Amino acid sequence: MRQIVFKTIFVLAVAMMSLQANAQVKEFEKYADIKNVTYVFISKYMLRLAGKASAPSVPGVNTQSIMNKLTGIQIITSEEKTAAARLKADTQTFVKAGKYELLMQVDDDEDKVRIYHREGKQQSAVVMLSDDAGEVSVIVFSGTFTLEDVMKMTE
Amino acid sequence: MDELNWKELEQIPIPEGLEERLEKKIDEWEESEKLKVKSEKSKNPHTSHLLPLTSYLKITGIAASIVLVFGLGFYFLNQPETVNLAEQDTYHDPAVAQLEAERALNLLAANLNKGMGQLEKAKAISERTEQTLNKQLNIMK
Repeated sequence: MRQIVFKTIFVLAVAMMSLQANAQVKEFEKYADIKNVTYVFISKYMLRLAGKASAPSVPGVNTQSIMNKLTGIQIITSEEKTAAARLKADTQTFVKAGKYELLMQVDDDEDKVRIYHREGKQQSAVVMLSDDAGEVSVIVFSGTFTLEDVMKMTE
Repeated sequence: MDELNWKELEQIPIPEGLEERLEKKIDEWEESEKLKVKSEKSKNPHTSHLLPLTSYLKITGIAASIVLVFGLGFYFLNQPETVNLAEQDTYHDPAVAQLEAERALNLLAANLNKGMGQLEKAKAISERTEQTLNKQLNIMK
């Protein structure tokens, strides 16, 4: 009897988790409601529509190869000192806790860029943290891509 | 010793009508027992339909599971639609979304290129150093 009850609860929990599964990295969703922070989310549906719309715009960069594998893009930016510092700290804590690997670090004068990557069976993510003279921006690319797909963009 | 006792017992005369009286008494006891059970049943009519405790637990468990499933379903279906800004697409125009997506991807590609470019530079310096070193070693030979 207990087994039946546990099985029922387990099935329900799995069903609910799958309903809650999202294309976004949840940790950054709170920034949608925070003052002095701009939060942009582009869903996979919009990306699919966009992918059909036209050809790539920058020569030498092939974004189409990864565009079809993305399930969402989150862009969070802030110029305000306190909010920007919080965003930067939160991102660093997030990548550390999520066991993201540092893919690249570029320090160019006041422009500091960190690119982190994590490959998962169900979802991969690339997090780009950029601090350009106090203006912090975080771009999170979620999808079912591999590290090779990311590097293919630069070829 | 036992044989002797049996023999003695057999010799004791059985009183007349004892067998009939005993049968009558047993019938009376049986009848009174039946009456007792009947009167108890009439007092508590539900007791006759009692199920074992394990069956009750099973039925309660199944009922609880059904109530839980329907309750949760009803609760979630009747939730007022809360607007989560983070889950909504920021852009409703696919063209604008594409521009923003491409801008983000280009920024990522540009930064990756920047890093890879430095790597290429380092590679070139390393190759040049190696060539110079090899040249000098050949001269020394």
